[in-house]
Amino acid sequence: MSRNLFISIANFVNHLERLFLPHGGPPPALAYLVHQPSSSTTSTSQSFSLKDLIGDGMLWAVPKHRRSVEKRLNRKFGYPEYVWKPLKEKRNLRSCQHCGHDYELGLLCPHCYDKVRQETQLMQDKIQAQLGLEPVEQEVIILYEGETADQATDAATGKRIVEMKKPRPMWFTKNLLQKSTQQSSDTKEAKPSNLA
Amino acid sequence: MHKMIRQIAQLTVQTPLLAAAPVTSAAKLLAMPPAITQNVDCCGVHTAASGGLCTKWNKHNYGPRKWLEYNKTVHPPQEADEEPRKAYVCHMRSNIKYSPDKMWYIAAFVRGMSVDEALKQLNFVLKKGATDVRETILEAQQMAVERHNVEYKSNLWIAESFVGKGRVFKGMRRHARGRFGRVEYKHCHYFLRLEEGEPPQHYYLPEPQTPEQQLEQWLEQMRSRKVINSL
Repeated sequence: MSRNLFISIANFVNHLERLFLPHGGPPPALAYLVHQPSSSTTSTSQSFSLKDLIGDGMLWAVPKHRRSVEKRLNRKFGYPEYVWKPLKEKRNLRSCQHCGHDYELGLLCPHCYDKVRQETQLMQDKIQAQLGLEPVEQEVIILYEGETADQATDAATGKRIVEMKKPRPMWFTKNLLQKSTQQSSDTKEAKPSNLA
Repeated sequence: MHKMIRQIAQLTVQTPLLAAAPVTSAAKLLAMPPAITQNVDCCGVHTAASGGLCTKWNKHNYGPRKWLEYNKTVHPPQEADEEPRKAYVCHMRSNIKYSPDKMWYIAAFVRGMSVDEALKQLNFVLKKGATDVRETILEAQQMAVERHNVEYKSNLWIAESFVGKGRVFKGMRRHARGRFGRVEYKHCHYFLRLEEGEPPQHYYLPEPQTPEQQLEQWLEQMRSRKVINSL
């Protein structure tokens, strides 16, 4: 703060110097004697005048008027049409049918999502622990307790198998990891789309 | 050497929380250490009451205590024909690391709601203070059922919910051009009173009037006019 004050004082002193010594004029001791009669003429000719600096009392970014109570309340509470600052009750909350916790309409139930996220985290940790940072060339198959991979299809294509030492969660069915239910077509001709 | 002293000091200050055992005499209150939200960990790990709020630095600041005194008032027995007094419980959490101005929005939001509705809504309020308020409400609900003769924990509503200013630690930060700014690390206290029963339709008075009530009031005004210079 003292540095700020010093800078502002130094600027003011520079302004005064430019006013009283325009082109290496008379020394500052006699400045007020010389400039009094011509102050009115110089103020109009020059872009700034003494009145601009000292006339207002040197206001350094202070409030000009008191904020009315309406303005203060509007800042605190906002405007109903534009920005309403107090919190609004959410009417789009429902009870999840699977876990019983609340969720927002149109969004995932946070409890169910958390459950899936934790399981995914466990799977990822196991994969990273077992397979490390090798480049991903083959698909990874995850097997839970008491499951065996189909040797005919999987081992032949060289897929890597990761075994989890826990029973399969009830909600984690095999079809969740299926890529697509749509069978790939054999035809080579592409049908044109977006025909007018 | 300093580590040893710190560990010994922490061991001696392991006294129970204010809310745990109701204290009757004033002397005991003064002797008790200040009301901090969580216990200080023995191993010297940074817990929630860390920094300036440690018991080590906070011995002279006791925080608000008057609010919890309301729980200890013993009301005179009621007559048989009198309406049974509604059970209530006053609870608070002091020195939450959150600005009181920001906490005010959450406190005002929760006012006048039933406890279940408040807990459900607070789950979806994306503010830091919402977790503290939610925990406070749950604690108060538990206290009401165990110690304040409330039968159903869902039959409660939030009668009073407000915020007070807590400890403020001041610091400095530097800006460009050799300027400095003041930083305030604000804390707040959150006060809560749960009351038994259904929440009222309108928490704030005066209630908005129905058209019938408005008509009645207008008629009353018209009829109470005085006709001057008449018989």
